[in-house]
Amino acid sequence: MREEALVVVGGAQGSGIETSALILASALARQGYGVLSNREYYSNIVGRHSYIHLKASATEIPRSLSYPVNVVACIDAESIFTHFDDLADGGFLVYDTGVSRTRLIQIASMEPETRASISGKLKSLGAGDTVESLVSTLESMFKVKPVGLGFNSILDVLAQKTGMSKSEVQRFRSSIIVGAIAGLMDLDQNALNYAVDRRFGRRPKLAEINKMLILGVMDDVKESYGAPLKLENPKLGLEELLLVSGNDIVAMGKIVGGLRYQAYYPITPATDESTFHETFESLKVDGESLGSIVVVQTEDEIAAVNSAIGAALAGVRASTSTSGPGFSLMVEGLGWAGMNEVPVVVTYYQRGGPSTGMPTRGSQSDLLFTMFASHGEFPRVVVASGDHLEAFYDSIWAFNVAEKYQVPVIHLIDKFLANMTATAPLPEWSRVKIERGTTIIEVNSKGSSWKRFDKSDTISPRPVLGSGVVTWYTGDEHNEWGHITEDPRNRLEMYEKRWKKMELMDSEIPEEERAALYGGGDEDFLLIGWGSVKGPALDALRRLESKGYRGAFLQLRVFHPFPSKLVSKVLSSFDPERVIDVENNIMGQAALSVAMNTGFKVRKYILKWTGRPIYEMELASGIIDVLEGGKSRVVLSYGK
Amino acid sequence: MASKQAYKTEVWIDWCPGCGDYGIVAAMQKAFSELSLDPSNTVVVSGIGCSSKTPHYIYSNGVHTLHGRGITYATGIKLANPELTVVVNAGDGDLLGIGVAHFVALGRRNLDVTILLHDNQVYGLTKGQASPTLGRGEKTKSLPAPNIQDPVNPIALALASGYTFIARGYALWIDHLKDLIKAAIKHKGAALIDILQPCVTYNDIYTADYYKGKLYKLEEDPKWDPIVSSNTIDEIEDKMSKAMSKALEWDPKIPVGIFYANPHIDTLEDRIAKRNQLFTVKPPARQPIARNNGEPLIGPEEFKKIFSDYIIKVVG
Repeated sequence: MREEALVVVGGAQGSGIETSALILASALARQGYGVLSNREYYSNIVGRHSYIHLKASATEIPRSLSYPVNVVACIDAESIFTHFDDLADGGFLVYDTGVSRTRLIQIASMEPETRASISGKLKSLGAGDTVESLVSTLESMFKVKPVGLGFNSILDVLAQKTGMSKSEVQRFRSSIIVGAIAGLMDLDQNALNYAVDRRFGRRPKLAEINKMLILGVMDDVKESYGAPLKLENPKLGLEELLLVSGNDIVAMGKIVGGLRYQAYYPITPATDESTFHETFESLKVDGESLGSIVVVQTEDEIAAVNSAIGAALAGVRASTSTSGPGFSLMVEGLGWAGMNEVPVVVTYYQRGGPSTGMPTRGSQSDLLFTMFASHGEFPRVVVASGDHLEAFYDSIWAFNVAEKYQVPVIHLIDKFLANMTATAPLPEWSRVKIERGTTIIEVNSKGSSWKRFDKSDTISPRPVLGSGVVTWYTGDEHNEWGHITEDPRNRLEMYEKRWKKMELMDSEIPEEERAALYGGGDEDFLLIGWGSVKGPALDALRRLESKGYRGAFLQLRVFHPFPSKLVSKVLSSFDPERVIDVENNIMGQAALSVAMNTGFKVRKYILKWTGRPIYEMELASGIIDVLEGGKSRVVLSYGK
Repeated sequence: MASKQAYKTEVWIDWCPGCGDYGIVAAMQKAFSELSLDPSNTVVVSGIGCSSKTPHYIYSNGVHTLHGRGITYATGIKLANPELTVVVNAGDGDLLGIGVAHFVALGRRNLDVTILLHDNQVYGLTKGQASPTLGRGEKTKSLPAPNIQDPVNPIALALASGYTFIARGYALWIDHLKDLIKAAIKHKGAALIDILQPCVTYNDIYTADYYKGKLYKLEEDPKWDPIVSSNTIDEIEDKMSKAMSKALEWDPKIPVGIFYANPHIDTLEDRIAKRNQLFTVKPPARQPIARNNGEPLIGPEEFKKIFSDYIIKVVG
C-alpha cells in the first residue's frame, strides 16, 4: 500500500472532468485522506483540452503537486497524446479503446504548436501516430499498464439498464473514469456513494445512475488489476475537513470577517468568489438571517471598486474581487480610497498577463503593479496568501487592517491557489477577531459637522456617512474638514499625516505576521518566495533534505508595509550566493521588493512563467542546478 | 422646515460670476430646506468639474469623487445604507462622456438616487472643450473649429436606460427647478433632472439670452400628464413615446418640466429586499458583524451551518 497517489484526469472542456475530480476528492476526503487538486483549462466553453491534476495522501494534507503521476485517465484521445509522458514508469493509463485507431493528426482541437511537439516526442520514441501504437510503445518501453475500457459498450449496457437513449448516456463518460480510478485505488464504496450524493444530491435519479456506473466499473477494474494504488489507512487524524477552492475559502473568510458589500465584474479567475457570496448573501442559520450581503454585478470594474469605496464610506465592510485587466481599470479608484482614507479591500487573483495574456492560467506577475498602482503617494497594504487556510485568515485580517488604519488593502491570490481544490482543517477560531479601529457607526452629537481628517492624530476617528454628523470627502488635497485646499502648509501636514500611517502599521503589525521563516536560520541555503510558491518550496526542501541538502524557506506575506528588519536578519545568516528567489514571473518581482526594502540583491533565481504552477520535482531539481551546477537563473517549464 | 441658510457652508464659491451653477445650488438648498432633509442623513455626491464642487457648498454630507464616477459612489453609499438620501451632481462631460456606462447602468437598476445633470455643452474647468451635449457644427468660444461629433440627448438616453423619473430644468428658474428637485428626491427610484445651465465664460451659443425666448413649461399644457398611474404596458408605452417626442423638441421651443415618471417600478433596494428582508429592516451599515468581545458574528457553529455543503465528516 502507498502513502500517496498522483492522478491526471484529462478530457475536453465541458465533458465532466471537473465533476469527476470533485467526486474523487470528496470520496477521498470522506475516507480521511488529504487531497490537493489543480484544474488546468483554456479560455473556452466546450471542446478544448482540460485536465485535473490530483494528489491524495494518507499522511498529510498535500501542499504541492508533482510529476510523474501514477494514473493518467483519459476521456478522449487528445488527453492520451497530451499526457502520456506525465505517467510514471509502470503507471496506469486509463483510456477508451474506442479511440485506439485515432491518429494525432485527426485531433482538430489541438493547437498546432502542441501537435508539433507531441509529434516529435512520438518520433523519438519510435511510436506511430495512433493511440494504439502509442499505447503499445508505452507498454513495452516504460512498462505502462494500459487500462483499456470499451466506453461505448459500457454505456450501451447502461442504456439498456436505464432505458436511456444512446446519446443520453454519452454524458456519463466521465463517470467511467471515476470508476476506473476508484478501482485502481480501491476506494470505499460508501465514500463513493456519499461523494456522488454530495454532487448530485438534488437530482437523486442522476445520482443513482452515476453510482451504478461508477461502482460497476470499479468492481471490474479491481478484479482485473487488483487495486494496485490502494492507499494506506489515513493518519491525518481529522474528524471533519473542508473541501474548498481558493475562491471558496476567500469568500468564507470575507463572510466571517463581516463582508456586507461585494461588487464585481465577471473575470476569470476571480468571479467564483462573488458567486459564492451571492449564494450565501442571506447568511441563513436555522432559517434566520444573520445579515445581508449586497452583491452587485456592476457595469465594469471601475464601478466595482468605486461603489465598494462608497459602501465603505457608509460604514460596511466592502470589497471587490478581480484579476489583472480588472485591476488595471480600478487604479484611479484605489488612489481616491488612499486620499480619503477609506477601508476597502480588493482581492486580486493574478492570471497570466500582459493584456489578455493567458486568462485561465496563473502567474505572480502583478506584485509590483499592486505595490505602486495609481498616481501620487499614499499608504496601502499588499498581502499575499500562501495557501488555502492562510487565504481564509488573511481575508479577515485585510478588513481589520483596512479599518484600523483606514487604508485600501490589496489581497493577492494567484490563479493556482484560486482554482486548486484542497482539503483543509476547519479554522482555528482563537485566531479570528473583528477589529474595526476608530470606525464610528453612530455618534451622539447629531447634526454637527465633523473634522473627518483631524490632524491631531495619525488616525482620525471615522464617523461613517449616516452616523449622525456631517462630513466631506474629496479627491483633491483637503483640510481637516474634507474641503479642498492647496495651501502649502496644509499640504505638508496632510500628506505626511496620511503617509505616517505606513510607519504606524510598520511599528504595530508584528513582522512575524508579514513574513515567515520555515527553518532555523542555520541551514545551508535559503529559498525566498510568496503566494502559492509556498507549498512546492516546502515540499522541495523536504525532498532535498532526504538527499542531504538542508535549506530554509522565507515566505514573504506582506509587501506594504514590508517586514524589513525580519527579512534583513534572515538574509544576513545565509551566504548571499545561496539565497534563491522562486517566483511565477520573469522579473523576480519579490526579489526586487527585497532589494528596495533591505538593500539585499538576490543573485539566484528559479522562475516560471508558462502559466502552469511550479511543481515540486522541477523546483527540487532547479535548486540542485543552482547549488551544484552554478546556475544563477533556472527557468522552469513543466506542465501541459 | 429648516431655513435655506442652514444648508450653506462657509466655503467660498469659486464659480465664475453669473455661472448657472449658482442657481442650481440655490435651488438645491431651497429644496432641501422645504423637504427638511437631515444634513447628516443626506449625501451630495459629485464627480469632477466645475459643477462637481457643489458638495463643498452645501451643508450635508459631501462626497466629491472622480471624473465620471459619482454614480458608482452613490450606488455603494445607497446600498450600504438605504436610509440615506443621495443626490448626485455632475456635468454633462462627466455623466454622458467618461461616465456614461454608469449613467445607463443606474437606469437599469432604478436605484433610489437623484441625478442633477449640469448641462452646459462644454467642459468648463479645462477651458471650454465640446461636451457630449454640444451639437455638430457648433463652435463655442474656445473651439478652434466647429464640433464634428453629434450630441447625445440626455432625456432620450435616460428613457432608454430605464430611469423612472425624468425631467428638465433651467438653472436660472430657481423655484421651478426647486420643485423639480423636490419631486425627484421624493420619487422612489432613479431620477434624472437635465439642468440647462449657461456657462458664461465658454459657451457663447447657449446663453441666458438664447434660452430666454425658447423655454416653455410642459405643465402649462393642462393635458400633459407624464406620470404613469395604472402601470399597464399600454400606458407606459404611450407615456414613454410622448416623452420621447418631447425629448426631441429643441428648436424653436425647448420644453422643461417632468417628461416621464413611473413610480411603480421596483427599486434595486426593493429587489434586494425581496431576496433578504433584513436589508431594509436593518441597513447593512447598521448590521452587527461581531459580538462584544470581538468574536465574529459568524462563529464556529454558524460557520458549520452556513457552509455545511463544504464540510466533509470523515467516516474511517
